[in-house]
Amino acid sequence: MEKVGIVGYYQLKPELDIMMSPYEAIFTAVRGALDSAGLKRKDITTVVTCTNDYYDGKTISNCFKVEAGGAYMKDETKVELDGAHAAAYGLYRILSGNHKLAMIYGFSTPSCYFYEPVRILELDPTFDRTMSVINPYTTGGMQMRAYMKAFGVNEEDIAKVAVQNYKNCSKNSLALPEAKKPDISVQDVLDSEILSSPLRRLMYPIPCDGATAMILAPERQSLKITDNPVWITGMGQCQETYYLGDRDLSISVSMEKAAEKAYKRAGINDPKSEIDVAEIFGHTSCEELILAEAAHLSEKGKGAILLDSGPALNPSGGAMSAFTPCASGLTRLVEAAKQLRGEADGYQISGAKKAIASGQVGFCAQNNIVFVLEGGG
Amino acid sequence: MAHKVQPAIISCGFCEHASKRSDVNMAELVNEAVEDCIKKANIDWKDIDAVINGNMPAFEGANMPELWMGDHMAAKNKPMLRVTTGGTTGGSVTIAGYYSVASGLYDMVLAIGFEQQSCGDTTVGLASVGLGEFTIFSDLGYTIERMRSNMGGGAAIGIASYQAMNYMRRSRATEEDLARVVVQNRRNAAKNWWTHLKMPSITIEDVLDTPYISYPLRFGMVCPASDGACAMLITTEEKAKQIADIPVYINGVASYSNESAILGIDCAGAGQVDPCEQLGAMKSAEVAYGQAGISFPNKEIDYAEVYSPFPNQELMWVERVGLFEENKAPEAYQNGVTALNGELPVNCSGGVNSTNAIGASAMERPAEAALQIMGKAGNQVPKTVHTALGHGWGGSINLITHVVMSDEPQRKWR
Amino acid sequence: MPLPAYIKKDYKRTRTLHGNWYLMNYKYKFNLSRTKVFLKGLKEGHILGLKCRSCNTVSFPPRLICGRCLVMPDQWVRLPETGTIATGSASYDTNDKNRERPLPVIAVRQDGADTVWLHNMPKDIDFHSIYIGMPVKAVWAKERTGSWFDIDHYDAIEDPAIELNKKEQEK
Repeated sequence: MEKVGIVGYYQLKPELDIMMSPYEAIFTAVRGALDSAGLKRKDITTVVTCTNDYYDGKTISNCFKVEAGGAYMKDETKVELDGAHAAAYGLYRILSGNHKLAMIYGFSTPSCYFYEPVRILELDPTFDRTMSVINPYTTGGMQMRAYMKAFGVNEEDIAKVAVQNYKNCSKNSLALPEAKKPDISVQDVLDSEILSSPLRRLMYPIPCDGATAMILAPERQSLKITDNPVWITGMGQCQETYYLGDRDLSISVSMEKAAEKAYKRAGINDPKSEIDVAEIFGHTSCEELILAEAAHLSEKGKGAILLDSGPALNPSGGAMSAFTPCASGLTRLVEAAKQLRGEADGYQISGAKKAIASGQVGFCAQNNIVFVLEGGG
Repeated sequence: MAHKVQPAIISCGFCEHASKRSDVNMAELVNEAVEDCIKKANIDWKDIDAVINGNMPAFEGANMPELWMGDHMAAKNKPMLRVTTGGTTGGSVTIAGYYSVASGLYDMVLAIGFEQQSCGDTTVGLASVGLGEFTIFSDLGYTIERMRSNMGGGAAIGIASYQAMNYMRRSRATEEDLARVVVQNRRNAAKNWWTHLKMPSITIEDVLDTPYISYPLRFGMVCPASDGACAMLITTEEKAKQIADIPVYINGVASYSNESAILGIDCAGAGQVDPCEQLGAMKSAEVAYGQAGISFPNKEIDYAEVYSPFPNQELMWVERVGLFEENKAPEAYQNGVTALNGELPVNCSGGVNSTNAIGASAMERPAEAALQIMGKAGNQVPKTVHTALGHGWGGSINLITHVVMSDEPQRKWR
Repeated sequence: MPLPAYIKKDYKRTRTLHGNWYLMNYKYKFNLSRTKVFLKGLKEGHILGLKCRSCNTVSFPPRLICGRCLVMPDQWVRLPETGTIATGSASYDTNDKNRERPLPVIAVRQDGADTVWLHNMPKDIDFHSIYIGMPVKAVWAKERTGSWFDIDHYDAIEDPAIELNKKEQEK
């Protein structure tokens, strides 16, 4: 795979109830990304939108976002999955040679709808939806139980992941203010309200409003635009089967396949030692561990050691810092790029050279996507 | 940077379209088209590297249905991307398939567009395009009654009637001209096995006898709401030559979007003053023809499939994409230029006017055009087709997709 | 052409379940900063357009974002009460039992503006007398409350180029 450069990005500060119209939020993110790269609107050749009709409450949610996203008279399209998938489509467009500069943005405002009930619409309408048993909480609980049983992990280990994320959030200036908890303890997490046993409230991120934009360019253009580009060297994607009963929830087959493909494309043989930073998007603290293990960052069932050694797991605070549907995966990519550029103020991992970032959709991370990033400096 | 991979279509599959396919659920409906496509290509589903799909989610009440339908799409443990852009969904999925192959990351990509409109309410689905805007409008003193009449009853016909007014004013097209397009489409549809509205003996008078919905569009001129799916296999030049007798090379793709028409963002003014001007379509056509090395589309294109739920749009699009001179399309339809045995056949599949499974419609256009080149179409034109065009529109007539294909690969890269 | 053999046609195989998804509640946010000024202007009898400083496009009603330049326009300009019809239609709405004749719906381009907005003409006007390019004038509502319909409707005014337009129509 040829290298593709990340030349600019902008993340809107996430809020629980943002006082901005959708168009204004997208405009701010897109304008910010262009300004960060020192580009103008006319330089964009293609725009990949990531919004969801059900999260926006309107059909064809990209139809009126043309002006705000800078897509007037540009090659525009929409990916209705996670922001990271939109980045992948932007990557295809750049790699094909047809386009020189791709603007990718993801946006959603969960303050305008109820995130958990809307997710029920992702279920199979005949059985799962009518049973009303499966929802983001119960799947999180089932997944955590399966993981604990399979590898003999206890709740404290998983609570530690949440604690680390909240502590990291407090260093991140672009984290959700409600998630900044520098003094939180493992006991606080274990004492929080039960969502679905054994999943606790503080192990589950808060959906928040936000928008993230990112600009991709081919190798030659990237070097002209910036002295310090971040290269995407590998990408892998995979969707596994839907029925929870058909899947082993304690591992993630799709993440494993996606990560292996991404490492192969990037020429990485030993991810444990080569990767410095891992920005993993997990819906729960437990899922974060499962996905990190599936990405071969640690042994199966031993994900908790990533908190002390090996690649830095979610130095930005991960999904806890900014859990915006449609933008989370893109935010992870931007956070990983920040680490490689040395722009992560306050939570910089020194000497970070290679990073991975992941995005996902579906219950128990059914469809995963992994990017391998390398610093250019 | 020139790209090195030449994407090609090797097979297209359809399921039977009807107003209510109550014998199947959405997954089975999609599976019919996928099975048809894979069987015609004579490959194994394991050979597929990646799957792209899309539909209009609001019509079935299912968000990201590919999550639970993945196994029916031959997508188990494979990369799966979902591209949805409203009416142009199918075209956007085709273009996503093109880019997946052209990027060099995948060799064999299955693109799927589908819609089962009988599951939900299409008018409510379409009205909710502007639901946010309507909510805001009512905050500004718009009454429901006034809103409904101003938006033309809610659905896409609202915009189409404004567009028809402007087109008829520009080109002096009459209502008979519109009815003639409908007759041609419905008669063509009768010869194609998968289409929905088959009317082999319809006449212009029959169409003009039906009542108005929104002036100048009548009930008989409007597209139906269908259930259906379409699938397409896109692969590299090398593989295509091994698998297919006549591979269809995709030489140009573009999807340039304009400002929205009639309704602006945040209930402001709309940027498209004249909804039949269509700068986006003209720009898309220019770019796609440029990529394919076509300088004179009216002479070099042998067959065209345009996305026309309403007859005035068919007349308009064939002009805007450069197949006819401006305001000359009604005359060409009258002279039979666009008929099955004419010089430039248009919409011999029956078009969107006869079958509209929205998420699949814009894909059926390039798919039918590809089948005409392969010589395998249900309603095959008598002449040999070398270069063909598949077009789609959607959104608030501001999203366009263009796919230009040929039986010869594009050799000279930009 | 017959159906391929592997496409099954058995209309009794499945049953249909009814679900409801339209009951899902949504909230919609929109930016009032420009709309407030526009509505206040209407209340005071001014027609205000918003001009983008970089491309000089004037939008009426005001648009928050100029898509061509990707900036937020902020210069207000006064517009005259006259405009032209950009396009129009008549809605034969079957749900409305009280309506004897269709309500003419027009998209008006205010003179000096580059965008259109949807408005109405009085019910008693014959729809077929409306043509594209016809000059119209805003008629103010009796009581102005600061809403979209402070301009009650548009009325036809004398067209200095009526002969030319008619000729154009009949050609």
